[in-house]
Amino acid sequence: MKPIVSVRDVSKRYQVGRLLGAPSFSEALSTAVKSSFSRNGNSRQQTLWALKDISFDAQRGEVIGIIGRNGAGKSTLLRILARITKPTNGEIDIYGRLGTLLEIGTGFHPDLTGRENIFLNGTILGMKVREIKRKFDEIVAFSGVEQFLETPVKHYSSGMYLRLAFSIAAHFEPEVLLLDEVIAVGDLSFQNKCFEKMRAVSREGRTIFLVSHNLGSIQSLCKRVLLLRAGRLCEEQDAQKAIEIYVNDKEVTESRFELS
Amino acid sequence: MILLEKAGSTVSQKQDTSNALPSSSHVYLPEEPLIKIRAERSWAVVDLREIWIHRELLYFLIWRELKARYKQTVLGVSWVILQPLLMTLVFTVFLGKLVGVPTGNVPYPLFLYAGLLPWTFFSNAVSSGSYSLVASSQMITKVYFPRIILPAAAVGVRLSDFLVASVVLIVLMRYYGIPIGWPLLVAPLLVIHVTLLAFALSACLSALNVRYRDTATALPVMLQLWMFASPIVYSGAIVPARWRWLYDLNPLTGIVEGFRSALLGIPFNRSALLVSVLITIILLVGSLFAFRRMEDDFADIV
Repeated sequence: MKPIVSVRDVSKRYQVGRLLGAPSFSEALSTAVKSSFSRNGNSRQQTLWALKDISFDAQRGEVIGIIGRNGAGKSTLLRILARITKPTNGEIDIYGRLGTLLEIGTGFHPDLTGRENIFLNGTILGMKVREIKRKFDEIVAFSGVEQFLETPVKHYSSGMYLRLAFSIAAHFEPEVLLLDEVIAVGDLSFQNKCFEKMRAVSREGRTIFLVSHNLGSIQSLCKRVLLLRAGRLCEEQDAQKAIEIYVNDKEVTESRFELS
Repeated sequence: MILLEKAGSTVSQKQDTSNALPSSSHVYLPEEPLIKIRAERSWAVVDLREIWIHRELLYFLIWRELKARYKQTVLGVSWVILQPLLMTLVFTVFLGKLVGVPTGNVPYPLFLYAGLLPWTFFSNAVSSGSYSLVASSQMITKVYFPRIILPAAAVGVRLSDFLVASVVLIVLMRYYGIPIGWPLLVAPLLVIHVTLLAFALSACLSALNVRYRDTATALPVMLQLWMFASPIVYSGAIVPARWRWLYDLNPLTGIVEGFRSALLGIPFNRSALLVSVLITIILLVGSLFAFRRMEDDFADIV
């Protein structure tokens, strides 16, 4: 079967000590001057492969968990898939629309009302206004903030805010959905609602990528898991076995930074 | 899990037999990938069709700014009119009355407002446009959308301010009894022209500002200097003839003088206008090119 997402030899390199944070013009100038005068001016600049030679395919309807320690490259992989940042090498083909939920409530404006933010956030996520109008009632019902639709979201409790934001994203129906730690929001009953929603989404044949440190939720949702270790993909992708490997892994921290 | 596989196989069967949406699933694969991610950087300008495709997002970003701006204000939208109006008042007192800047037979307040209006739009658009990417760093690092939408939205916000403030100009023209003639038809073209110029500079400077925050810091001073290098508070006629060519290289000279010609019946300065159009086109292409080169790194360095 033709995969819906095909990732081939993707790597991402970061320059350590450079490009992390914007330097001022004078800093850039002084760096350039220094490096042209000293012979080993570049020696302090090291490169870090956040991801190295990642290849995998994803099928329709799969819920794929992405696990690994901090700095293993989970978020980098998600950000490359989401087209937020470019890979240094490799190529990716995606045969469908892409929805990204790396953060709850991206683009929410605190002074605008719940209703206004549904439209704003929906379009930022990539929905059409027509689509938002059609699903408006569903979104509101799912979030449970009916009474506060005309209240600016800055007056919302953090739980209400999260529920509304998740609800908007959950009703966006892309063929591929990227989620970063977002199911860890809300109370238990809302979390269960989210799980149920994700299962429904996958039954419709949509594909979900899910980054999480919560192994329990990964286990209950995913049959397949991508385990990242220092930017490399573990060969074992069966959820149960990959999680075991991850849990028993002790040497990961030592080899975390591969500096060249 | 059984359900899952079942759904998958249904989809693949349906895909071969019919083009209609399968009832149980909305997912069927197109022949060609919708999204191709490649490592190579292309030598190309920003694809402006992307703005059209995401026009709803552009609209909502403009709408968000306008809506949020007036939520906790008393005077609301009248601020847009007050800014050029107060400047007109100050310059009229000092330059019009005390210094006596020559403006032909056009009353100084009207002459000034006709220049301040496009200038206020231009300078506000460039300064908020330059800041637009950094101000939305949260969005840039969390979701994909064509980045060029951000400076475009910033310019769009100021354009709507400009259109509101234009109402005062019409009132002033009626007050001074200026007849409205055919040249007025040129005014919308000039609005498009100055919008594109502001957009070009916003795109380029906003991208530069992601890497070097000095850009936004230096900008107010530059704009201040630029204002006095353009015929805003005085007439371009006072510039000595032998320096005139240099003066006309400033794209705003053609635009501002063009506005006055369209509104106040002063003859058009065609050569200045032509130079301005050419420079705007060059800046626009160059900026879109530069933006495309820099935008891949925005999320990593912003």
